[in-house]
Amino acid sequence: MTSDHLSTTFAALADPTRRAILARLISGETSVTELAEPFEMSLPAISKHLKVLERAGLIARGREAQWRPCRITAGPLRDVADWVAHYRRFWTESFDRLDDYLREAQKKEKKHGHGKNHVK
Amino acid sequence: MVTGKTMSNEEQELVLTRVFDAPRELVFKAWTDPKCVAQWWRPRGFTNPVCELDEQPGGAIRIHMRGPDGTVYPMTGVYQEVVEPERIVFTSTPLDAEGSALFELLTTVTFAVQGGKTKQILRARVIKRTAQAAQYLKGMEAGWTQSLEHLAESLAKM
Repeated sequence: MTSDHLSTTFAALADPTRRAILARLISGETSVTELAEPFEMSLPAISKHLKVLERAGLIARGREAQWRPCRITAGPLRDVADWVAHYRRFWTESFDRLDDYLREAQKKEKKHGHGKNHVK
Repeated sequence: MVTGKTMSNEEQELVLTRVFDAPRELVFKAWTDPKCVAQWWRPRGFTNPVCELDEQPGGAIRIHMRGPDGTVYPMTGVYQEVVEPERIVFTSTPLDAEGSALFELLTTVTFAVQGGKTKQILRARVIKRTAQAAQYLKGMEAGWTQSLEHLAESLAKM
């Protein structure tokens, strides 16, 4: 994934309406009219948001002229979530170990009575 | 214990807050002394065969993490700021097997005294990313699959 592609995804996700649309689509594909219902927005405004999501590859739309059902395509979203999820997990596990390390270091300090000598 | 984690919308930032029951100087040392860092800077089940830190602005970071299956995940980085004992800023770049950069993160860690304990806040964001990045994450996270429910949760938190 290029950084430009990622920027497109991030930009698409930066808007709360578009995130709400995606959250709605997770429960299944639906029509534009149905999607527009919970938002106080005109159909053209919703269509604009859908175009941004479509360009980012986050949703796909059916080809039927009248009823163009929208569905979520999780690929780019998963890529975005991945680095955050990955690093959240990485650091959380590392910090558990850091916590143990700090506990041990303080125990040793007390035991040997070196006090601040162990601290830079 | 993780007390806070949020991801801002525009910057896609990872923020992790944690309070350690230890003096700030000790926590800072644990972040900057290579011998200390090697003991904790890695995922569960990993070891650090290489851990070299030149803890000064412009100084290099070189850490190799070896997974339980023997695969080595090297990373390099550069310190941007080292302000003892309150703040460290560094870039980090995980490398693939050929030594090419996958993506680059900017990480800021701050340490504040909080009633005899130390409140640490880590912020990280991607500043560069390449095509191999997704593959790398997939490898390191083997066995970890993300369902649509997980995606729904992520979206709800954003």
